[in-house]
Amino acid sequence: MNYEDRIVTAFTACAVFWAVLGMLAGVYVAAELVWPTIDIGLPGLSFGRLRTLHTTLVLFGFGVSGLIATGLYSVQRTSHVRLFAPGLAWFVLYAWQLTIVLGGASIMAGWNAGKEYAELEWPFDLAIAVAWVSFGIVFFGTIARRKMEAIYISNWFYGALIIVVAMLHIVNSLALPATLGKSYSLFAGAQDAVVEWWYGHNAVGFLLTGGFLGMLYYFLPKQAEQPIWSYRLSIVAFWAFVYTYIWAGPHHLHYHAIPEWVQSLGMVMSLILLAPSWATMVNGIMTVSAAAKKLRSDPALKFIVLSLAFYGLATFEGPMLAIKSVNVFSHFTEWTIGHVHSGALGWNALITFGTFYFLVPRLAGAPLYSARLANIHFWLALAGIMLYVLSMWGAGVSQGVLWLSLDELGEVRFSFNDVMAAMKPYYLLRFVGGFLFLAGAVLMAFNLARTFAGRRTVTVAPPPAHAARGLA
Amino acid sequence: MPARFSIFSLVKVLFRPKAAFETLATQEPPATRVFFGFALWIGLLPPLFAYIGTMNFGWRLGVEPVFLPQRTVFAISAAYFVALLLGFLTSAVIARWMAVTYDASQSLGRCFALMAVVGAPLAIGSVIHLYPHAFINVLVLVPTLIWSMYLLYRGLPVVLHTGPNRGMLMASALIAYLLVAAVSLLGVTVALWGSGLGPLIGT
Repeated sequence: MNYEDRIVTAFTACAVFWAVLGMLAGVYVAAELVWPTIDIGLPGLSFGRLRTLHTTLVLFGFGVSGLIATGLYSVQRTSHVRLFAPGLAWFVLYAWQLTIVLGGASIMAGWNAGKEYAELEWPFDLAIAVAWVSFGIVFFGTIARRKMEAIYISNWFYGALIIVVAMLHIVNSLALPATLGKSYSLFAGAQDAVVEWWYGHNAVGFLLTGGFLGMLYYFLPKQAEQPIWSYRLSIVAFWAFVYTYIWAGPHHLHYHAIPEWVQSLGMVMSLILLAPSWATMVNGIMTVSAAAKKLRSDPALKFIVLSLAFYGLATFEGPMLAIKSVNVFSHFTEWTIGHVHSGALGWNALITFGTFYFLVPRLAGAPLYSARLANIHFWLALAGIMLYVLSMWGAGVSQGVLWLSLDELGEVRFSFNDVMAAMKPYYLLRFVGGFLFLAGAVLMAFNLARTFAGRRTVTVAPPPAHAARGLA
Repeated sequence: MPARFSIFSLVKVLFRPKAAFETLATQEPPATRVFFGFALWIGLLPPLFAYIGTMNFGWRLGVEPVFLPQRTVFAISAAYFVALLLGFLTSAVIARWMAVTYDASQSLGRCFALMAVVGAPLAIGSVIHLYPHAFINVLVLVPTLIWSMYLLYRGLPVVLHTGPNRGMLMASALIAYLLVAAVSLLGVTVALWGSGLGPLIGT
């Protein structure tokens, strides 16, 4: 029985499609902040709806499809067994993609549950829950049938992703439906805010960090042709990460109407979080440092090396912004948006790009169509991220100073409108940065499509069970 | 070059960086000479320009300029100077520490000189601080920063005697450190502003 890789190919293709579309929506809203009239009066193209569409497409379309693709690919290989219930996996594919398509349309039509990063209304929440639990059954079913005694570290991270996201999504989405397109959260007031950010921050933690660490732990050693530098460190970091992350959510609510001690707890746990986050970074950097020879021949590895640098930045910046005396200044400014994108573009997108450049030639049984295009993509991505992050740092710090500036009478010195108008040049720079990043993603989509066009049939069978370590 | 790596090498460092890298590859300046003869002086430029600019034009953040009392401007400029020197010293020491992993030259003098060459364009580019308009500073310093990053990637393998592949990895690891150092500087700065050193902001 060969590995079930067609499903991996399908999820990869969807991820690339949503990457381009989601980033296009992002570039469009960035342009709207510079030229507000380009929504041409259509509510569906207004900032409020397109911004939500952007986050939904890149998070759930691109990010989750990429995670499911790589999770299903690696769980078979690390378990030495074919996928459990492949039919259910195909159901996950269709259910998930249909949810994104219809959900995206519903957002543009104005449906919104009013929860950040969980804006889809209750019918979609139900669909997501069913698809996600099905993904869990396929994944854990495969692990249960494994021929290896140990469960490899990448599967621990993918497993945590599946369990915690199910928990977060189901609890945060609990709501009373009023009509087909409108529901009301079961939680009220400050309680609702705490639940929302327990969900929101752990989506960052277990999806954007944990899930992608699963990707890193499988694909980095594969690409580098080196074992993980310290397997023990990876296990310690995993448990410390899982234990600490779940508490960090309240740092999104500093100085809000929630108990002071909850805010302080969120801040302290965010600071502790730096240790397991960086343990993983060190592990990755040390693993790749032993594989220097491959860098020249393999454009994919460059993406991973750079993604580790931005992972280091984002996981340091996050705890720092969680400190209350920094947050009082940075909250509601563009600094936060810059921070999110140094993580989302620099870490999540780059590691996924690197992984796809590795994965697609193997799925297609043909070499990458153009290593040169991949290299151009690398530099476009780096330039785009740097422009994005630096312009948002400049804008954020300016906003912080101006918003908090007081005159002699202790009144706010500058009006909100004046401050926003002053941000226009930074928004233009951010638009350019985002555009460069999108251009790189389009090059990748072309490159991968051409690679796949030259495909040959590939089937990979599990190796025979190892006499000493295998179960069978 | 080793004996002469001083502020008088500035023209060569700025305009013929590759020649400077090649000289450093064969000769080794003492770390103290690089620091006291070069880094200290060019490190003085950004805070000096910032002080003059802020006193004359105020911080221009897109709306009316924000003027600060002279004592505050002096304190901020002095803190800026200390931060730059700390940044320079830690980068050089960390480069030497990383050299073990990447099989590169562990000469402290070479690490100091490399960081000096990489940082010099930024120190000179900071002349734009004379007019402290935030966005104009971003516009000038971002391309300068890109040039400096390019110098780091190109110079590191040459100066520290490691292959282009290992050099690329080590330069990326250093970039990770520098990004973290930059964002720490932002964090420390706003925490200090919040505690009263800086613009009058209500907290």
